[in-house]
Amino acid sequence: MASEPGLVRPAAPLDRQARTRRTRELSDGHFALLIGLPVIAFLIAVVGYPLIYSIWMSLHKIVFFGGYRATFAGLDNYASVLHDEQFWWSTWVTIRFTIESVLLTMVLGLLIALLLNRRLMLGGLIRTLIFLPWCVSLYGAGLMFAYLARSQTGLGTAILGLLGIDATTDFLSGSSIIEVLAIGNAWTMAPLVAMFILANLKTIPTRLYDLAAIDRLSAFETFRYVTLPPIRFSLFVFTSITTVLSMKLFDFIFVLSGGGPGTASATLTYQVYKRSFKELNLGLGSAMSFYLLFLIIGSTLLLFLLWGRKEKPL
Amino acid sequence: MRKSGPWLTLATLLLLIWSILPIYWMVRMAFLTPAEITQFPPPIFPTRFNIASFFNVLGFDHTLADGTMVRASGQANQVLRGLVNSVIVAVIVTVITLVIVVPLAYVFARLEFRFKNLLLNAVLLAVALPPVSTLIPFYAMFVQLKLAGTLTGLVLVDLTLTVPFVAWMLIGYFRNLPPVERLARIDGYSRFGTLFFLIVPMAKSGVAVAAVIAFLFAWNEFTFALILVNGTTANTLPTAISGFLFQNPQPSNLAACIVLTILPPGLVAYFLQRHVAEMSLVDPVR
Repeated sequence: MASEPGLVRPAAPLDRQARTRRTRELSDGHFALLIGLPVIAFLIAVVGYPLIYSIWMSLHKIVFFGGYRATFAGLDNYASVLHDEQFWWSTWVTIRFTIESVLLTMVLGLLIALLLNRRLMLGGLIRTLIFLPWCVSLYGAGLMFAYLARSQTGLGTAILGLLGIDATTDFLSGSSIIEVLAIGNAWTMAPLVAMFILANLKTIPTRLYDLAAIDRLSAFETFRYVTLPPIRFSLFVFTSITTVLSMKLFDFIFVLSGGGPGTASATLTYQVYKRSFKELNLGLGSAMSFYLLFLIIGSTLLLFLLWGRKEKPL
Repeated sequence: MRKSGPWLTLATLLLLIWSILPIYWMVRMAFLTPAEITQFPPPIFPTRFNIASFFNVLGFDHTLADGTMVRASGQANQVLRGLVNSVIVAVIVTVITLVIVVPLAYVFARLEFRFKNLLLNAVLLAVALPPVSTLIPFYAMFVQLKLAGTLTGLVLVDLTLTVPFVAWMLIGYFRNLPPVERLARIDGYSRFGTLFFLIVPMAKSGVAVAAVIAFLFAWNEFTFALILVNGTTANTLPTAISGFLFQNPQPSNLAACIVLTILPPGLVAYFLQRHVAEMSLVDPVR
């Protein structure tokens, strides 16, 4: 806002004061540059290099047996991924797993946040216990759910045994393995979502709830008009975040099911791992990982177009 | 706030069971005797509270009540070293992440400048990269830089995960804060002054959550640690534990170790929840 030369201002002293302060003040752009640039540079260095390396690998046919050779193959790897039936199966598994995970995580996260926003007896203890799943590593959670769902060591079998039924329940079978994975994934992510939504809920002034009570809004209306507006943007952000996290989830699936039984839970990350590290087909694996990256970016973009665009960040 | 009714109690109870059950199932295994672990159907409660596994994984022999001695696990050294390394890495990553991310998220959330969306998308791209596709490049790069098998290397890798991720979360949080910048400027605060003396105190709970996220990411990171530091002196706890599964399956020792890995973040969660619960935003208008 530089003062235009032709304009005569009546309040000259005030104006001068404002201007002298402005010269000492960094502009928005400069301040952003000062803070953002080193970080961006670091990220480009350590993210850009692996990315370019992966692109290079995806364009080559890399052979280990009989001496390391890398021959340029153009887009052959990308083409053969598209002809790979396993790839399409894995894409379907990934999408199914992601949708189930995200829906469950968001509903649970919102419920937990709304619950913890109330005054509870033993509130500290309850909050700690509810946040605890999030402290468990994905690796540990994978083991927990494996032991919990497997027929030999599982809870289902134990309960049946308690009822005197000599049978086993195996949730790690092909028909329900994706649901077990999604439940486990939601189990670890929901507290994280809840914590952020809770932090947002805390920013709602309590007097708004008093006003809502005076206006005799029903519980649903209070939620709709008082509670929901400040957390809508966070809900969108976390739907995106959990989508991305679910799609690139690896260690949890690796530990819990190893892509199995058969290929029942072979998500794209697991397929990339299998191609790259088990079959040592680095070119094909890299090409596949770029399809996965497109899928991740595509779905977040879709979320933004369908939902995020309409949300006004507060 | 309304009074708590029976529905609230029921909901609380259900959520508690949901949260605790998988952890309980694992903790219970740590207390089972080898005979009980192979028993069918599996017992729901441990009857004898066998604590030998906890001693074993930390490198102590343990004598049971009936006089039999359970030898210390051969992997205790790995576990102890992993514990120390994990604490070091997690603390360093948390501090660096906060120093980097708080100003970054603030800038993206509150200021308008050129190329903002482009830069924001670059950060988001870093979040979207699946780790399986960057494993080989990272390994190749770190071998060349002589960072493979070092804690420094692991800290760097963890930062590439935590910085974009935490930034993405905090941006949404900072956007929700009341607009105090103009008021601050009138009161004579500089840019950095506004950030550190007004914004950060207002966003305390968000920053605390961000700190814990960074801590947990570094504490629990498994995929990169497996490739970069497993089997070296920079081994972290998760990779040290994986030995119990793959090399020498001992379910109770494995369970005892998993319990150990939950304890420090559990403490963190306790302090954090207090912080989030008691924190309500200071309303600047009043």
